[in-house]
Amino acid sequence: MSTSDTLPVSNTRALRLDGVALAAALATLVCAAPVVVVLLLAAFGSGQGVTFGANLTRDGAIGTFTLMLAGGGGAIVFGAGAAWLVSLCKFPGRGVFEWLLVIPLAAPSYVLAYSYTSLTWAGGLIPYRIEGFWGAAFIYAVGLYPYVYLAARAAFVSQSSCAIEAARMLGAKPLSVFWRVALPLARPGIAAGGALACMEIAADYGAAQHFGLTTLSTAIFRAWYAHGSSQAALQIAAVLLVAAVAFLIIERYARGRAAFGGGSSRWRPLPRYELGPIAGGAAAVFCIALIILGAVAPLAWLARLALLHANVEDVIGPFVNSVLLSAGGALLTLVLAAAIAVAARRMGAMGKTSMVAASIGYAAPGAVIAMGMLALFAMAREAGWVGGFGTGVALIALFWTYAARFASAGVQPIDAGLARLSRGLDASARTLGAGPWRRFLRVDLPIAAPSLAAAALILFVEILKELPATLILRPFDFDTLAVKASTYASDERLLEAATPALLIFVAGLLPILLLTRGIAKTRAGAHE
Amino acid sequence: MFSLSRRAFALGASATALAACNPSSGGSEENFVNIYSARHYDADRLLYNAFEETTGIAVRVLPANAEQLLERLRAEGDATEADLVVAADAGNLWRIKDAGLLQNVTTPALEAGVPTRLRDPDGAYWGFTKRARVIVYRKDAVRPEEVASYDNLADARFRNQIVMRSSTNVYQLSTLSSRIERLGAENARAWAAGVRANFVRDPQGSDTDQIKAVAAGEAQATVCNHYYYFRLQQSDDPADREIVDKVGLVFPDQAGAGTHINISGAGVTLHAKRREKAVQLLEYLVSDAAQAMLAPLNVEYPIRPEIAPAPGLAALGTFKEEEIPLDALGRHQAEAARIFEEVGWR
Repeated sequence: MSTSDTLPVSNTRALRLDGVALAAALATLVCAAPVVVVLLLAAFGSGQGVTFGANLTRDGAIGTFTLMLAGGGGAIVFGAGAAWLVSLCKFPGRGVFEWLLVIPLAAPSYVLAYSYTSLTWAGGLIPYRIEGFWGAAFIYAVGLYPYVYLAARAAFVSQSSCAIEAARMLGAKPLSVFWRVALPLARPGIAAGGALACMEIAADYGAAQHFGLTTLSTAIFRAWYAHGSSQAALQIAAVLLVAAVAFLIIERYARGRAAFGGGSSRWRPLPRYELGPIAGGAAAVFCIALIILGAVAPLAWLARLALLHANVEDVIGPFVNSVLLSAGGALLTLVLAAAIAVAARRMGAMGKTSMVAASIGYAAPGAVIAMGMLALFAMAREAGWVGGFGTGVALIALFWTYAARFASAGVQPIDAGLARLSRGLDASARTLGAGPWRRFLRVDLPIAAPSLAAAALILFVEILKELPATLILRPFDFDTLAVKASTYASDERLLEAATPALLIFVAGLLPILLLTRGIAKTRAGAHE
Repeated sequence: MFSLSRRAFALGASATALAACNPSSGGSEENFVNIYSARHYDADRLLYNAFEETTGIAVRVLPANAEQLLERLRAEGDATEADLVVAADAGNLWRIKDAGLLQNVTTPALEAGVPTRLRDPDGAYWGFTKRARVIVYRKDAVRPEEVASYDNLADARFRNQIVMRSSTNVYQLSTLSSRIERLGAENARAWAAGVRANFVRDPQGSDTDQIKAVAAGEAQATVCNHYYYFRLQQSDDPADREIVDKVGLVFPDQAGAGTHINISGAGVTLHAKRREKAVQLLEYLVSDAAQAMLAPLNVEYPIRPEIAPAPGLAALGTFKEEEIPLDALGRHQAEAARIFEEVGWR
């Protein structure tokens, strides 16, 4: 590993205000605003709290934490394991698995939960019941491992073959290379993916609620729906948000100052280990199992239900709306995320702080961010800046909420991409007299282009799956696939919910396949 | 890869442009009415279509959860575009009224259409369909008289034999609220604790999931809204239809206070911009024509006893309804939530 090319960051640089810094500050402000509003309302809002909010909060915190350990831990093991196998080993089917392993990304947790329930609960096809705590942990592990897989795979692929070859020449066995060279090198990527998975778990409501679990997220809704106290809901949400800040800081700290710039700019095809028949077979079974559990089984069951009651005509409009919203939302969030990620690289502590600030929203349920957004709207309305919540305002509010909620999902991959950019390059550009914008456009952007594309695709899929904020903030007569699936499911009409749920999968599939292709091509010199 | 991201940019830009010129932003043609609805039935759309045909007034709907709609209404204040709010539980309707977001409306047609007990005393909301909270039991393990009352579910006879859905669900909150109204908080708590003690597992899943668990022999009885039973009976999935053969349905407390019932209802928003049209739609919802349409489509009970229910429902015969003012379901909701929390009914 090479930290030697990291130039010391001068303090004066941290404070210089240039155009890029201003853009980043503005982007941070936009992404953090609804979260800040939620925190302010929780602290100073009027309205009744719930007297036993403390119990709810404590139980919820324990529930969220244990689910993160079990579900997030499972996702990390599955994701990092699969990424290592397809990146650094040779075994039958590897080339196909490389693509297919990402597919579960298209499935929202709530869809997986409903599908597995109908598949395994009373009257279902499989007698082993997916339920309770372990049911939810299972759903998260098989549904969220692609976040880790993607990040870890990008990290494995971009590793310098030199380090690995050196280790091999020194006589290290494959497993030893994995533990002592590849894994430490990929740690930032795995940490970033794991952090995304854990924050998804913290923010998830649908699956946890379905399995009857008390998490901070379900506690928010319990306070809000059952106790009718949106004030108490905001207070529990504030606890979740503060915990997210702590989590993000710990995660960044654990990742350390390690700046893993490529040790060499000369790329050669990665040396892959040829696995023997038994190990190769086991690797193939592992990958197949992940694909079946995370996608094929729930998809097939949904397809069966959808065939029993097809309502294709109903979902054409929502399909179009979903794609438009996701594309627009992804674009806006991408621009903001890119500004923040670049600033975080350039501006030392201040940049890192804005990165954390913009990332908090990812841990909050969409409904909470939407509440913050509604409060912002109410303030703007009282100030006379906007009129009613018409179509235009609703769409702005929605896009804004998506940015606040998902900036982190964009910032993380872009930041990981920029991490590969050796600081020497930036320094050279500065020495040659390039200004901040020029460096941004001519150095940072081209180098980060693959990760920008990856971030755009992840954002597209995230917004496609998003439910509560869309439900609350969308304009009249503007349904999306997620809204359609949820309104049917909340009415316990799983057959009718199956078609839109299936279409969320389908609409997410293309971007996801593009995403894998992008990563395979990331590595200069990659062939096959 | 760079070319890909350029294409993505172009796609995103056109998407934003398209979304911006969405035609449904109103304006030129004012002949419509806007509904915030917490009911998500396809039947409702058919009903609105019928209203559109008879009156020429277009109906635009925004479906979401009741709590979320309330939050949105609150933020929108007098700028709201919503004229009518529809919700599937008296407790939810009461909450929206309590937040000061509904206006009182009284017309002869509404008064004639809705029995006094099934509407807000001030006219803030009006019921337009009824649902009964019934007990579903496993035929081969339980005799119907063993589940003749909600009280039976708290008997030691059913230790480890009961499944229930989560107390967060508004139907459960309303069921307990009705007991608080009738029997007092202490009795309500004792019942909830008794039922809780009989759980075979922690609450999870939906009403339908509970029925399926009973049919599969995982439990002997549960409580659910009556129409979920009929939906399974009429499902396109043969596996669903088999379930119904294994379970029986009881209207509880026929010898006592009667079966707990709830309403779907609607109210005109405080700041409705199209108040007359909203009232017109409200009156339509309780009209004979709409009632005759809604009942068979959704297997709910019509709001007035003299209108015939759907054939399947009629076959079950008539039953005695618990007679409490339905705003009690809202008034006691917070206390019901607290009791559930205290007895550990998650």
